[in-house]
Amino acid sequence: METTESTSAPVIRASGAGIRFRRNRTGRRSFKDLFAGRDRRARPGEFWALRGVDVTVHEGEAIGVVGRNGQGKSTLLKLVAGVMLPDEGTVEVHGGVAPLIEITGGFVDDLTVRENVFLTAGLHGMPRAEIVARYDEIIDFAELRDFVGTPYKHLSSGMKVRLAFAVISRLEEPILLVDEVLAVGDKAFRAKCYRRIDELLSAGRTLFFVSHNERDLKRFCTRGLYLDKGELKLDGPIGEVLAAYDADYGSVT
Amino acid sequence: MTTALPPRRARSRSEAYRQSLWLLTSRDLRVRYSTSFLGYFWSVLEPLVMAVIYWFVFTQIVQRSIGAEPYIVFLLAGLLPWMWFNGAVGDATRAFIKDAKLVRSTRIPHTVWVTRIVLAKGIEFLASIPVIVVFAIIFGATLTWGVLWLPLAVLMQTVLTVGLALMIAPLVVFFRDLERAVKLILRFLFYGSPIIYGLSDLPNGLELWASFNPLAGIISLYRASFFPEQVDATAVLIAAAMSLLFLGAGILVFRRMVRSVLKEI
Repeated sequence: METTESTSAPVIRASGAGIRFRRNRTGRRSFKDLFAGRDRRARPGEFWALRGVDVTVHEGEAIGVVGRNGQGKSTLLKLVAGVMLPDEGTVEVHGGVAPLIEITGGFVDDLTVRENVFLTAGLHGMPRAEIVARYDEIIDFAELRDFVGTPYKHLSSGMKVRLAFAVISRLEEPILLVDEVLAVGDKAFRAKCYRRIDELLSAGRTLFFVSHNERDLKRFCTRGLYLDKGELKLDGPIGEVLAAYDADYGSVT
Repeated sequence: MTTALPPRRARSRSEAYRQSLWLLTSRDLRVRYSTSFLGYFWSVLEPLVMAVIYWFVFTQIVQRSIGAEPYIVFLLAGLLPWMWFNGAVGDATRAFIKDAKLVRSTRIPHTVWVTRIVLAKGIEFLASIPVIVVFAIIFGATLTWGVLWLPLAVLMQTVLTVGLALMIAPLVVFFRDLERAVKLILRFLFYGSPIIYGLSDLPNGLELWASFNPLAGIISLYRASFFPEQVDATAVLIAAAMSLLFLGAGILVFRRMVRSVLKEI
């Protein structure tokens, strides 16, 4: 499998990707700043959350992203998901993305579970006919059969996570992004999610996985990205990357 | 690489745009109607109450020499489009803020966050048209060939409203004060536009200047359905030019700002 990876077409290619944020909310902002578009200087009060990231990902790779909090892991996922745009460099993504990044993201409090499934799956680009075909599967996976008519706001937080994972993991997109959200669900459901991720991986999907859990990373991922201070410090086999991370910051688990 | 992905037809950009636009628009309408008992009737009731108030003030209390007969039809022909404009521009101030979570997690064409508001309010506007039909029948206003201007009026108003909304929505993310400023400007604009009066009721000399408010030309086109003499060619041409100008400016502002908006949200 490792040999085929390098020959298949790249699905994600980041070259020199960088994005900067304001350090604090109260910082003064002039109209000129807002319209400045992309230029390369970081203005006072801004910092680069990510800079100079070069990564090429091939179809079917499973990539674990490690790093301490606030070192740019989620930002990298958001750039790949296309919900943020880089200030310098480019992030090219070929093929659709199923992003599990903001767990209760697309759901609307006042609509029912059923309506929310159609809305969220649709917004992520799933054709309506396919949603209809997959609907039962999604509801069964989320174990919400008795709640399809319940307004979303009345669900427990565990149910919300289940619904989100059930929908996103059924989008049938070639790239799956998972951002630490699985830590929320209960043990049985987590096991189910892991089985689903295994399934998707063996079906040749590409996975981007952010986690602090070494065991999960080793279980799913073959390649690791180690982000530190907004830079890509190491890109290599997951074992090496975890070892380097441990050496810098002590054991993760 | 083992099991083949189920074949999915690649969607064109405009298909993707339409799908997300329609999903969000119908969601907005559904949320609005599923949380209230009167549902659809609110989009009828609001302009109706306002029309009755103005009709009472201007025909029963004040001896009026403005507008045309029947005044309530004249009034509604301006008021209904105004409700669309007012609602869309007012809601545009919250286009990103209200759905911050969704914006942070879902990639759809960026302008959809704004255009869905204009569309949702536009649909409510179309749904409120029966109100004016009923009043036209009751008060004996006759429909004229001027009704053919209606599609143009709707198109021009869409262009104008989308342009303004594209400008306002991203700016409010950074300047929250703008939200209240817009509300105030809208209230001023209500009296500053020929809604309770007609363009020709203005003092001589003011007419031309008032035409630079694109709503003047647009509303005159709406009124053409019942009052063809209200159409003012100069005002319509100016309104068309102004609407396109606002759309161009809106696209420009939106493009330059969307990157910062996504970070800030």
